[in-house]
Amino acid sequence: MRHHAIDVFLRFSAEVTGFKIVELRGTGESGEYLGTLDRIVGPDVVDELLSAYAELQPREEAEREQLLRRQIFGNEKLGPIARNIIKLWYVGIWYQLPRNWRERWGVREADVTFTVSPNAYTEGLLWPAIGANPAGARAPGYGSWALPPEIPQV
Amino acid sequence: MRFPSQAAKKTQLEAACQHTYDVVIVGAGVAGAIIGNELSRAGKRVLMVEAGLGEDITVKGYEEYLQRFYATAVKDNQSPYPVNPNAPMPRGTTVRPVAPGQPETSGYIVQTGPFISDTTYTRVLGGTSMHWEAKTPRMLPEDFEMASRFGRAADWPISYDELEPFYRQAEREIGVSADVEDQRYLDLRFPDDYVFPMRGLPLSYLDRMVDKGIRGTEVEIDGERYPLKVRPYPQGRNGIPNSEYDGGKGYVPVGAVSTHQVEEGERCQGNNNCVPICPVQAKYHAGKTLAKALQTERLELLTQAVASKVHVDPETGRVSHIEVKYYEDPDEPHFVTGNIRGQLFVLSAGAIETARLLLASNLPSTSGLVGRNLMDHAYLLNWALLPEVAGTMRGTNATGGIVDLRGGSFRRSQAAFSVDIHNDGWGWAVGSPYTDLLNLVDDHNQFGAQLRRDLAQRISSQLLLAFMVEVLPNPSNRVTVDPAYTDALGNMRPVVSFSVPDYTMRGVAYARRFAQTVFQRLGARDYTFYDPTDYGYIHYEGDGYIIRGGNHLAGTHIMGTDKHTSVVNSDQRSWDHQNLYLVGGGSMPSIGTANVTLTLSALCFKTAQAMLEELR
Repeated sequence: MRHHAIDVFLRFSAEVTGFKIVELRGTGESGEYLGTLDRIVGPDVVDELLSAYAELQPREEAEREQLLRRQIFGNEKLGPIARNIIKLWYVGIWYQLPRNWRERWGVREADVTFTVSPNAYTEGLLWPAIGANPAGARAPGYGSWALPPEIPQV
Repeated sequence: MRFPSQAAKKTQLEAACQHTYDVVIVGAGVAGAIIGNELSRAGKRVLMVEAGLGEDITVKGYEEYLQRFYATAVKDNQSPYPVNPNAPMPRGTTVRPVAPGQPETSGYIVQTGPFISDTTYTRVLGGTSMHWEAKTPRMLPEDFEMASRFGRAADWPISYDELEPFYRQAEREIGVSADVEDQRYLDLRFPDDYVFPMRGLPLSYLDRMVDKGIRGTEVEIDGERYPLKVRPYPQGRNGIPNSEYDGGKGYVPVGAVSTHQVEEGERCQGNNNCVPICPVQAKYHAGKTLAKALQTERLELLTQAVASKVHVDPETGRVSHIEVKYYEDPDEPHFVTGNIRGQLFVLSAGAIETARLLLASNLPSTSGLVGRNLMDHAYLLNWALLPEVAGTMRGTNATGGIVDLRGGSFRRSQAAFSVDIHNDGWGWAVGSPYTDLLNLVDDHNQFGAQLRRDLAQRISSQLLLAFMVEVLPNPSNRVTVDPAYTDALGNMRPVVSFSVPDYTMRGVAYARRFAQTVFQRLGARDYTFYDPTDYGYIHYEGDGYIIRGGNHLAGTHIMGTDKHTSVVNSDQRSWDHQNLYLVGGGSMPSIGTANVTLTLSALCFKTAQAMLEELR
């Protein structure tokens, strides 16, 4: 188990998803998602992303956002992986990396679009973000749909 | 609903071939299940032959469907159900545009066009009722009189009032939730003291927002005015039982089925997943009716047996036996053949498979209409964003809609429609909410709190109006077979030719204008876009539209009053073969603007009565 990597991975994930670390841990998916990244793009690339994130010093929010965009989301190699991490947390799906990424940094055998596990689907963060349940699971109860939605403010 | 575990043990082919059953039924969907249940409960010995695997006979099997659904990245109508090359099924995700002069063969149904449909049906135990949305409107009285009232299509051989008692039987069997006061419109008639088995499901918050915006407004067609409102749909899913049902006896909802006690599915919980699978079985599926039939221990189930040929005695014209191909492993094309014998035979494999089987059996037909007059509702989708958050993505898939234009004098010249408000947002049209996430992350470059806020704003205010537009029978819309196209077991695949009639397209063009009017009144931003490269794209009078299949397949063996102009009589008995009943949507001579399941179920209760008379 990559204990240090998991800590950085969770801090990064919390910042880019807009959810708290405790909420991410609550999904039970952090190990599975880091493992998925290791398996698909390899631990060296994952560590490159996590080190780049760890190097960002604590700063004001606006400045941090700019740094995240310049150093990570706007990085040709790390950007697509960072965006895929957001998608993993939100819907439990690994989306195949863009073609130009594969051509430049190599095709990975496991890099196809797939749902990580049945649990990854039902634990997606998209659903709480929009005040709904994952379709087909965690039902809110008879007649709940008639009430106004409760969407958490962030 | 419990049934004895020994009844769940599937019949072996060898054993089945040694008997002559009172009734042999091909296809364990809702039509076959109703007839099987009625006859076995009346003491008849019934064999049900099913092409699919029958995984869902216990709760454990049903859970496997659910896990398969969770684990798939593309959650289409068929995603919970196993891929089975020995009993293949059409799938929306495999449909491609047709190349000029070339049939489209990538899916199970070979399509020669010109219109290419993504319509589906499911070949598992329970049939398409496993993934149906379970809206259960009755057809309108005027739908039975299309020729005499509007000079279109043909009148049914039976009237609304003759079918009405059978509608009530179907509503009991399916377990319909609705309030009768909401359903008395456009001359829909019920006995004075009638109530539905369960109270209507409440309208969604989204429905109410739409209703607030349009109530009290009107549209005008051909000089007639139609007031607008959102009305609840009757639903084949469990709600709160109505204590006044059945003269005050009340109604006990049927929950999940299994061989052991399970407390699940007695009331809809708002999973918002009716299509492709209700996780708790609060939605009706034919397995519930089959479980009742299995309780009698007079109905046997032969699964993994694909009916391949209907054999007829040339002297009497009666069906002598049905040849089935029985396979052990869905991934191996190996099979053994058996002959199933009975007094009466029922084909209830769905409008396309029943026609396919008859045509593959090369049976003579006096009318020449087997496979012809294929119908399916044409769906036109319109999507917009409401000015405020409406809580989209919550509830059962569709609770309300606009149904005032299901009937009217305009039907002399253009198709009628009913409009569903989709509680699952733009999913059907553009793949929401997944596509919204990808767009915001990859294109809008959002992350963190801003991404959350944008997602909530974008998805929770989605409004999708799905117009279910009437399609009339046309003999050249048809199913055929061609030995050039076969499945893994060597059975010929269905070949479909279909064009959307002008009458329907006039209704489609009006539907688009109607949606624009509704969006105007709601202050909604219209995002509807019909991509000209889409397989369902149709050009009509200067504008383009995308038409989607409705999975409401009908009309391949239409009923009528004589053997030269129809395939079956009003009891769904074949004119050409006295002991053969062709049942299901295929018997319907027109489909109006009602989802077909309730009406075909009502017809099957009528047929069961006729079959019992015949066997007496």
